[in-house]
Amino acid sequence: MAEKATPIELEVAVVNGVELNGPWNRMFAPRVISEYDLSVLEEVTAIPGAESLGYCYQCGKCTSVCPVDVVGDYSPRKVFRRTQLGMSLFESDDLWLCTTCGDCLRVCPKEVNMIHIMPSVREKAVMDGHAPQELLTAFENTARYGNPLGEPARKRADWVKSAGVPVPIMSQHKAPVDVLWFVECYPSYHPRGKDASVALARIFHALSLDFGILGNEEKCSGDSQRMAGESGLFEMLAESNIKALSKYTFKEIVVTDPHAFNAFRHEYPKYGGEWPTRHYTQFLAPRIQQMDFSRAINRRVTFHDPCYLGRHNGEYEAPRQLLQAIPGLELVEMGRCRENSYCCGGGGGGMWMDSFTSDRLTMRLSERRVREAVESGAEILAVTCPYEVSRFEDAVKSTGHAGELKVLDIAELLAHAMGLVDAPL
Amino acid sequence: MAVHRVLVIGGGPAGLEAARGVADMGLAVLLVEKTGELGGTPYAHYATLTPHLKDARDLMQDMLEGVAHHPQIEVRYHTEVVASRGEAGAFTVTLQNQEGQSQEEEVGAVIVATGFQHFDPGRETQLYGYYEFEDVITLVDAEHMMKSGRIVRPSNGQPPERVAFIQCVGSRDRQIGNRWCSKVCCGIASKQAIEIKKMLPEAKVFIFYIDMRMYGFWEDQLYWKAQEEHKVNYIRGIVTEILKKGDKLLMKGEDTTMGRPVEVLMDLVILSVGMEPSQGTLNMAKVFHLPRESHGFLATQGEPLDTVTTPVAGVFVAGAAAGPKDIEDSVSMGGAAAVKAVSLLRRLEKSLA
Repeated sequence: MAEKATPIELEVAVVNGVELNGPWNRMFAPRVISEYDLSVLEEVTAIPGAESLGYCYQCGKCTSVCPVDVVGDYSPRKVFRRTQLGMSLFESDDLWLCTTCGDCLRVCPKEVNMIHIMPSVREKAVMDGHAPQELLTAFENTARYGNPLGEPARKRADWVKSAGVPVPIMSQHKAPVDVLWFVECYPSYHPRGKDASVALARIFHALSLDFGILGNEEKCSGDSQRMAGESGLFEMLAESNIKALSKYTFKEIVVTDPHAFNAFRHEYPKYGGEWPTRHYTQFLAPRIQQMDFSRAINRRVTFHDPCYLGRHNGEYEAPRQLLQAIPGLELVEMGRCRENSYCCGGGGGGMWMDSFTSDRLTMRLSERRVREAVESGAEILAVTCPYEVSRFEDAVKSTGHAGELKVLDIAELLAHAMGLVDAPL
Repeated sequence: MAVHRVLVIGGGPAGLEAARGVADMGLAVLLVEKTGELGGTPYAHYATLTPHLKDARDLMQDMLEGVAHHPQIEVRYHTEVVASRGEAGAFTVTLQNQEGQSQEEEVGAVIVATGFQHFDPGRETQLYGYYEFEDVITLVDAEHMMKSGRIVRPSNGQPPERVAFIQCVGSRDRQIGNRWCSKVCCGIASKQAIEIKKMLPEAKVFIFYIDMRMYGFWEDQLYWKAQEEHKVNYIRGIVTEILKKGDKLLMKGEDTTMGRPVEVLMDLVILSVGMEPSQGTLNMAKVFHLPRESHGFLATQGEPLDTVTTPVAGVFVAGAAAGPKDIEDSVSMGGAAAVKAVSLLRRLEKSLA
């Protein structure tokens, strides 16, 4: 058998009498493919869920829509080829660059399903200890505190104090509600996420809704941890949330987070948790007539479709209906929107691997997206996924667009137009 | 008065279907076959047929017997057509048997179904070493082995661990003079790859290609099936030379989706040889003064709406004598040629009546 095509790293390399040391030695990775070591491909495709990696026929349609390839050398097509060449996907950086945005699957003629492949292969890598440390930290935080930020579980509902309107917590409310609002982690703990939660609470109050939240009984929905390879942790969280929800009587669940929306729609039913669930934009869009818009927002606004609201769950209209209902607001679209919307980089665990991924890419996905938003001529980048406000605000600063582009949740924009909050326009 | 008998030359799938068609329409058929059996190239050389991997002999048996025992069909084995004179409705053809004895026959129309021959890899401009290395074989050699139910390295009789197919051998090549795609080799290589994986599940099987050309349903019947169910590895990029290294073959080429040179060792290399006009087809072109189209196969007129009518009145062509065809194409052309030949004779009869 031929020797494997592994990179050569010599302590001292001598070329034409000249010594080349240190990182230069890596330049001698062989060009010639001397073996197709199929053992890894066979191992990967034997994992339930990862079979379709072997279906790739190299058309490359995924490459042009993959949000990562424009900022790094990565796409599903390339992952297949490298694995076929014997690259250990379990130990490769490639394994952690996918954000599970789902755009490749949308265009893939062979249905190579990275949404199934990534979590199942990552699960093995996590068990073998090959996951980036910062991701493991997020997993540990989630397991210990019920949220990936590592914030105390008992402070999950502290944001309610600044809501300025009653936000009933089910354990104290002692009565059925119409709407069980599943708040999620970033809207509970992150400063900018809390702004959106306050805005949404005030909108609910203004609409005289009968609603409540789980408060400290709520835990992370776990969907991104699942996509990042921690299905065990996901199951634990799902069971805990389902148990808490099952104690109360409500007509439907409204979620702030598209990732939680995805979990409630597709995953929780597998564990016995099946309730009618809507994203808050879907819940509010039919209530536009009841909203009293007392203030105009005379701004040009572009909207970033969250991957897990749009591609994964097919909702593109509700957020736009809400934005277009706001007096004075002009909605402009970015080139990549709706079905082929670009990804913010936060999904699939990307939220918790910022150092890892930014070391390996020419720019963050969020930075690339912010540039698109600026190019569109928008003054405000409207979002409706809790990962995005913080990611895009950081990206606005790091790309030198501070002051030019504001990032606001749709809830903030609505509440501002209703005179319920003063959003930082 | 037109002679109500049709000469069919060649007993492969196209000729068999043509003969059956003419006879079923009530006319007499004289079927001339150069070898001692009917069935043509697939029957003689192939263990199984695309796309369903069924045994070629089982699959074709009914067709063969139907023709051999048809009261309207007379079959002459070991016979070739060496001369012809006359015109549509009244040809006098000279047949010659293997002893060299000649005989004249009267026929009203002629269907040429003399097929193709596989490209001789010795003419390949790439250095594949077909005549140098025992373990470099062709698709046809592989089929012969599969007829015996096992696939081995000819050099040592052992099952191969690593097998590579090289596509487009003798096809799509201006230097060789064969500018055409031979149409069936991608499908046959995929079929054989599946069969090798069934026989030798542990073997690693590769198909090196320029672009995979899987017409119609072969895409998922063969290509997807090979890749998804049988883990056949398709590598885009063609091999340019094969060298001997120890008791293995060192294949050199480019992996074009990686943009890197390839030098990998194989136990068995199978050359996907394409189609060329057979000697019989070239001979019939001379005997009946049939023009050859720009690639050298028998020309038809009225393309694309007429696939079987040659520029010589009363002479039709069916199957791979007219260019690369799969079996479905060949059989369809056989049927079409039968209809054209019979209707020509009926027209002539009416006009003469």
